[in-house]
Amino acid sequence: MVGAFDYAPAIVLLPFLSFLVALAGGKYLPKGGAFGGIAATAGSLVLSAWVFLTVSAGNAYNETLYTWVAGAGEETTRLTFGLLLDPLAAMMLLIVSLVALLVHVFSLGYMNDEGETGLPRYYAGLGLFTASMLGFVVADNLLMAFMFFELVGLCSYLLIGFWFRDSGPPSAAKKAFLVTRFGDYFFLVGVVAVFATFGTAKFAGEGAFPVIAEEALAGSAAEVTTFGFAPETWFTILGLLILGGVIGKSAQFPLHTWLPDAMEGPTPVSALIHAATMVAAGVYLVARMYGFYALSPTALGIIALVGGFTALFAATMGVVKREIKQVLAYSTISQYGYMMLGLGAGGYVAASFHLLTHAFFKALLFLGAGAVIIAMHHDEDMWNMGGLKERMPVTYYTFLSGSLALAGIVPFAGFWSKDEVLYEALVHGLGGSPLLLAGYAMGLVAVFFTGFYTFRMVFLTFHGEPRTEVARDPHGVRWNVKGPLVVLGILAATIGFVNMVPVQDLTGIHLEFLHDWLAHGELSALTAEHYGELLHDYAHYTSADVASYVAGAVSLALALAGAGLAHVLYNVPEPTEHTAKLGAVKDLWYNNYYQDEYQIWIATSVVLPLSRLADKFDQGVVDGVVNGVSSVSLFAGSRIRRIQTGVVSNYAALLTLGLTALLVVFGVLGGWFV
Amino acid sequence: MVPVQWYLLLATAVFCIGLFGILTRKNALLFLMSVELMLNAANINLVAFSAYWGNITGQTFSLFTMALAAAEVAVGIGIILVLYRNFDDVDVTLAKGMRW
Amino acid sequence: MIIEALIAITFVASMAVLLAPNAWAGRLAATLSLLPVVGSLYMWSRFDATGNALTGGTPAFETTVQWLELGGYTLNWHVGVDGIGLPLVVLTTVLTTLAVVSAWASIDDRQSQFYGLMLFMEANLLGVFTALDFFVWFVFWEAVLLPMYFLIGVWGGPRRKYAAIKFFVYTNIASLAMFIGFIALVFGLGDSVSSLDMPAIAGALRAGELGSLYGIPAATLRTVAFVAMFLGFAVKVPIVPFHTWLPDAHVEAPSPVSVMLAGVLLKMGTYALLRFNFTMLPETATQFAAPIALIAVISVIYGAMLALAQQDLKRIVAYSSVSSMGYVILGLIAYTTYGVGGATFQMIAHGLISGLMFMAVGVIYNTTHTRMVGDMSGMADRMPVTTGILVAGAFGYMGLPLMAGFAGEFFIFKGAFESTVHAAMPLFTAVAMFGIVVVAGYLLFAMQRTLFGAFRLETDYEVGPAPISETAPLAVLLVAIIVLGVAPDLFFGMIQNAVDPLLEFGGELS
Repeated sequence: MVGAFDYAPAIVLLPFLSFLVALAGGKYLPKGGAFGGIAATAGSLVLSAWVFLTVSAGNAYNETLYTWVAGAGEETTRLTFGLLLDPLAAMMLLIVSLVALLVHVFSLGYMNDEGETGLPRYYAGLGLFTASMLGFVVADNLLMAFMFFELVGLCSYLLIGFWFRDSGPPSAAKKAFLVTRFGDYFFLVGVVAVFATFGTAKFAGEGAFPVIAEEALAGSAAEVTTFGFAPETWFTILGLLILGGVIGKSAQFPLHTWLPDAMEGPTPVSALIHAATMVAAGVYLVARMYGFYALSPTALGIIALVGGFTALFAATMGVVKREIKQVLAYSTISQYGYMMLGLGAGGYVAASFHLLTHAFFKALLFLGAGAVIIAMHHDEDMWNMGGLKERMPVTYYTFLSGSLALAGIVPFAGFWSKDEVLYEALVHGLGGSPLLLAGYAMGLVAVFFTGFYTFRMVFLTFHGEPRTEVARDPHGVRWNVKGPLVVLGILAATIGFVNMVPVQDLTGIHLEFLHDWLAHGELSALTAEHYGELLHDYAHYTSADVASYVAGAVSLALALAGAGLAHVLYNVPEPTEHTAKLGAVKDLWYNNYYQDEYQIWIATSVVLPLSRLADKFDQGVVDGVVNGVSSVSLFAGSRIRRIQTGVVSNYAALLTLGLTALLVVFGVLGGWFV
Repeated sequence: MVPVQWYLLLATAVFCIGLFGILTRKNALLFLMSVELMLNAANINLVAFSAYWGNITGQTFSLFTMALAAAEVAVGIGIILVLYRNFDDVDVTLAKGMRW
Repeated sequence: MIIEALIAITFVASMAVLLAPNAWAGRLAATLSLLPVVGSLYMWSRFDATGNALTGGTPAFETTVQWLELGGYTLNWHVGVDGIGLPLVVLTTVLTTLAVVSAWASIDDRQSQFYGLMLFMEANLLGVFTALDFFVWFVFWEAVLLPMYFLIGVWGGPRRKYAAIKFFVYTNIASLAMFIGFIALVFGLGDSVSSLDMPAIAGALRAGELGSLYGIPAATLRTVAFVAMFLGFAVKVPIVPFHTWLPDAHVEAPSPVSVMLAGVLLKMGTYALLRFNFTMLPETATQFAAPIALIAVISVIYGAMLALAQQDLKRIVAYSSVSSMGYVILGLIAYTTYGVGGATFQMIAHGLISGLMFMAVGVIYNTTHTRMVGDMSGMADRMPVTTGILVAGAFGYMGLPLMAGFAGEFFIFKGAFESTVHAAMPLFTAVAMFGIVVVAGYLLFAMQRTLFGAFRLETDYEVGPAPISETAPLAVLLVAIIVLGVAPDLFFGMIQNAVDPLLEFGGELS
């Protein structure tokens, strides 16, 4: 029977095709190849929806489609590509293809209407970006995931550096690739180590590595190589190695520094990177192999702690930024911190939920910011805006919807998901894990900051009086900008309803559809149900009894407090900068805790001088020895050759002497003189 | 029959005279003569041993050597002529361009 | 017979080009060099070898003709290819053609001699990768140096004489060390071999027939010979600290010659290491596993660090070749199917990628007449196609998945991590893998400064796109790199087949 799964490879291949078309023929196509991209992503979306429906009927797909390396003989590991379509992947496919489609449409307004050059390159990049991410989402093994993970990194480089004639974007692109590469180094070591340990890197099915790991810990005689470590320790090490890649791509502390710089790229690209593709890839990877992480309480604790810390850390920096995209960038870091916290806290569903809602509201916010930037003639400083509410109502109301979701105000999407993340951290923390409690505490404080910076941004941009001429008479935007905003605005307001746990607890009505979606499935090893068991058996997570609505009320109160403070300070006709009151803290926050400085310091003041030293050593000592040997022989030759006088008589004398000496030697050795 | 040792002594003497000439003289013509002397010393040896062993090979070989010596003289005289043309002298120590 | 035909055709072609007028020597050379390309691809399609040619496998297209007898040893004309030799043969023919085409735009004096020497070198390289008799192999091995010496010394940059002599003397002395080591082994084998046939010698050595020689016990002889041969090949590869001839040679050589030097000539060293040291003396190799792995790691990291400090684009690529060759050594010493196979695959991958990089740098040099990173910026503005391919190639060099470099490096990492030749192999591998971060660092920095930003270059002429004869070879290489990255089994299958018989000392297959 030909079903959705047979067409599933086309989900990845369609955007790839649009990449090829835009690259080869974009010059000759209308709109620089945009329509190809739109058609391809729309096709992917339709197929993803079909896959989603098929998966929701209780099917799953886990097949190898292409053998990359067959290997010689039975014993050799085969390296393959395949598709793994389970509820999580189906959900993510929908998110990615929808956001990609909307970003393509929005780009018509942001790039084409603004008369940018190099559009074929732009649309080729978008197509490849989408294809890589979709390939990553459907990957059925860790190696394939790594490969597409890297391709995602390449595309981010190409798109962040799109405006290569300026000095900023190429530098930001380089930084993005390099910092994430640093994380990917650990990931690659992890991939290699997983192969060495388990002999396979498959996520699911017979002999998948999380399953083998589970069996090894249970002691049921699975063959694993643990290089002399106890299996628990070694699996934790493996998990942390792979986590390196996650921290890099998902911009978690301390590898988050590339992300704010990545704002140099076109705004639709930022939307794609932050909402659905690159940054989401890290968190998705942890979710994808959650069956492995759930075996190691240490790894989970570290994930939660890093997540919680990043959530708070990034939120504080977002408070003082001047550019609208910078605020959004730090909010992204912060929100992915929440997802990591959720994953670390054992809230697999909560984190996936937040991944879902965040994708929509963050795409919305970025596209909204893009609309504002078009209107402001590419001025991003919020202090030059103000009062845009009346002049661009569609943008305002959709942006507001996204902001409410981001701040976590009921009933917008972000509330439900962030609340669930925090709830998971709280109950498992109270259940006996101080690490999780620390994560929870930081996440909770971050809620306040999130409410504050979100509404500071909204008020500064849209409320009050226009502060510049441009803001008084903004550039209009067309349907291709408004359309995506409206779609996402509605989603940001409503998508949270798929999983309203507090309401269910209050009213007793069954409302946790996402839980149901992720909890069951044909591949039982990949279900939330199974993860729950693993968390209980191996990570020893236990839940304390806290009512979900109480926790929700606490975080809602904090969010409202933050928003209220922003309202008091900034929702006035002529807002002033209050950041100076923070004193030294403002400098610290504004300069991002000097994180960039120390990383640049490492690059330019440690590595570069070290390499110069190595070069000096190489030129002086290593090559010096080589040249020394040659000059010694040259010198010796210049001396010894003086024997050659050019006078024939001398040669004759030497000949005679030589002959005599030979005769004497032979004579002595031969005993002639005895 | 004269014992072969006498011939050898003669050859050694001739050879040493030739060698002495080469080591001490600067005149190219004397040089050439000395070389001829040394060659003839070798010829004496060849002939002497040929007679001693009753084997004709040595004598044949000495004929070859003579032909060779003749050729050598031709070349040698040519060189000496060139030497004279370039240096106005036949002193071998003058031509020492072929060195380091 | 096809191997003989291939070598003979290339020799004849080189002579024909040598006699051709300068005006169309380049065209003629490119056309004639297509014959070996077609021949090698035909060989690939008809390839039917099994196993390793030196350890009892059946090489394809094998011929053995007794040539002469010398000192009690029979010298045979013995050629054939197995899964290790054939990919290198294909690499050689393809890269030569592309290098010849890319030279059209830049070589403008004594063309017939230039192209004649290029083809002459190709013929000898083909001999190196197909010979199965030591004598034949050694003649080709040494004969490769001659054209290279003249290509650097005649058409090179300002310090070409220094570079050419350094290259020639250094590698030649190294060959001597290797030769002595090998001949000592042959003598040590005594009566158990009566020819210089490499399979016979390898078989005898692996069977433990080595006896004492001149009172030197077999164990010492084995060790000394191993070290001598290792040093000899280490210069060719080159392995730190014997690498200093390489940047000088690359900087002075014209770009098409750099392409051949980095693309094929360096592989002679690793190929010979694999054929001699690691195939013939596996016990000794595994005995030295730790120091060899260490030297490989040092090559990787130190080479990359040196590349980071360079300002000259060619020096950057040259040092990064040192770094990449370190990976190959790491793979070889692993003695696992992915390790040794990956090392062989990496030879091909690096040949293509470094060829592309040198060619692209050459294209930029031909336009800008400078290779200094600081002298230019924003080249992407004027040379979009070249920039695009250069960026793609640079990412290939960084090991971007679905390009050949990633396949080679990943195989090596996987194989080396799993290796059991030494307990610390996973650690060595992990450290060596850090090279992928450093390589990204220096290539990204160099690209940012030369290709991007505002266009800046002081010239008194208009800077425009490169001619098609320069961009077409780049595009062909890029396609080859991607094809091999997507379908490494085009070569990796046969490589594994040839490599597996060598692995008995590296622990279990995995």
